[in-house]
Amino acid sequence: MATAEEASVRPARRRVGRPRLRPAKGWLALPPALYLLGLLILPIALLSLYSVFLLTNLIGVTNVFSLSAWQDFFPSNPFTWKPWSTESVFWNRFTLSMCVTLIVSLVVTTMAYPLAYFLAFVSERRRYVFLFILLAPFFTSFLLRVLAWQVMLNDSGVINSALWQLGILSDGQPLEIFGMGIFRTWFSVGLVLGYSWIPFVALPIFVVLENMDRRVIEAAQDLGASRFMTFLRVTLPLSLPGVIAGFVFVLIPTTGEFVTPQLVGGTDTYMFGQAIQDLFIGTAISWNTGSVLAIWLMAVVVVLIAFSSRFLVMDLREGTE
Amino acid sequence: MNPTLGRWGKFGLGTYFWALVLFLYTPLVVLLVFSFNDSTIATLPYSGFTTKWYGRAFDNQEMVDAIMLSAKIALLNSLFATALGVVGAIGLSAGRLFGRSAITALLMLPLVVPYIVLGIGMLILINQVNVDQSMWVVLAGHIVITVPYTILVVLPRLRTLDDALPEAARDLGSSDVGAFFRITAPLILPAVVSAMIISFIISFDEYAIASFLVPPGDKTFPIFVYGGTKVPEQRPELLAIGATVIVISLCVVMIAEFGRGWLERRQTGRDSLAAATAE
Repeated sequence: MATAEEASVRPARRRVGRPRLRPAKGWLALPPALYLLGLLILPIALLSLYSVFLLTNLIGVTNVFSLSAWQDFFPSNPFTWKPWSTESVFWNRFTLSMCVTLIVSLVVTTMAYPLAYFLAFVSERRRYVFLFILLAPFFTSFLLRVLAWQVMLNDSGVINSALWQLGILSDGQPLEIFGMGIFRTWFSVGLVLGYSWIPFVALPIFVVLENMDRRVIEAAQDLGASRFMTFLRVTLPLSLPGVIAGFVFVLIPTTGEFVTPQLVGGTDTYMFGQAIQDLFIGTAISWNTGSVLAIWLMAVVVVLIAFSSRFLVMDLREGTE
Repeated sequence: MNPTLGRWGKFGLGTYFWALVLFLYTPLVVLLVFSFNDSTIATLPYSGFTTKWYGRAFDNQEMVDAIMLSAKIALLNSLFATALGVVGAIGLSAGRLFGRSAITALLMLPLVVPYIVLGIGMLILINQVNVDQSMWVVLAGHIVITVPYTILVVLPRLRTLDDALPEAARDLGSSDVGAFFRITAPLILPAVVSAMIISFIISFDEYAIASFLVPPGDKTFPIFVYGGTKVPEQRPELLAIGATVIVISLCVVMIAEFGRGWLERRQTGRDSLAAATAE
């Protein structure tokens, strides 16, 4: 009945001369788009001008196009380049930071997968409550959580003093893991970075697992696959988009991270983001060099996004109709 | 019935999940516990219960000022970012939109640009146009990073709305704007409120961008906390204020989440009731 009515109503309405069924409201996307053009794209454009000396904050230097900052950044001969060489220090910083972020991202994604699996397949009806429990701490202040880790990890901190009290370590001797102390080392930096990101990595994996067609799993088992084989050959491959999205979710923000290594890291854990910060507001100011590093960081992120974009913004791209 | 895991598998996975939850909450609990510790250093054994750090923390004018400043920025940010986000979400939900993927990419871009790039980008921008670092610049930066979140919260809710509703309002003589405020706005209100809360929280907690843009001497709350982590004498007070902020924000998040669920359920209930009556 309803469809027949609709069919008779719609043409009639067009005839009375309504040019469109709904207003063109697409232009409403413009205000935020313009805002971001001015305060996001324009600054990035200025950074790229700085990186080639078309702009500079140095006094007495005229703005002449020059690639010298870029040349200084890259190692002159990539084939003889060694991570420990003193040539191109910022490039070394970059590769070292990248290695650390990759390791952290891999570990965090691996650790987050079982969480997502538990939420999607085991927790049944309370899954959203459990998901909320998992995510809730991360709506509290990031700096305060890092402060809490400082309190726990430092040499006379909660962890060390607890171990002294329990007699596991002799008094005054701080804990060491993998031959390094637990504070102001790569261990503490990795730990706090991982701590910060695990729930966010679990989220996209959970969404994919949750929306997976359960019948394919049943089909695999009906056809005689063991539980393990079902996971390996069916569930895991189907959940890879979520895994990749999660991996990128942690990789991108940690690549430019400078706050965590400042607060729980030491002199050995100086990361690429800290180098950029120091070049802009720190001790060794050079905005031109800093811009090269920042643009390079952006470029790396853009490449990462390009490789993974179809896993990231899938549901936004779809039209509404 | 779950065909994917045996009983032991389920048990193991459950144990793992709760162990990780424990890991996630331990720092928060430690902060809370040691904020009542009667000692200037947070170390075991526990020296006894005291609330004096709370008293001292709230007597600390610098900290109160920092909290007020951050609250001000966060409040303005939640208003502006949500306004831009709602407008943007309506734009993106339009049936026809020229350059949809480019605009979507631009609006989501702040989610993936490293904060350090945003911070220094804004810094050289204001330097270029001869504007000094100020709280307004911090606010402008925070709006950049929170707009995508507000869109992500509002857009799905807009999509679930029945297009016939505003259309009916217009057929009955309402203007586009009138239809929005009388039909669409009340229906997306729960999502708008969550968007405001989320953008408030993000701004209140934001350190990385603010660290480049605050004028020397002024302190937002995260910048105050950051400075405090470097001064051991300030630590007990910092723990007290940290515990307070964490407890408050956990409460707000819980109320927001369950409140939104409740409101949306109530509305869906009404919608389906209306649908049932219509039939």
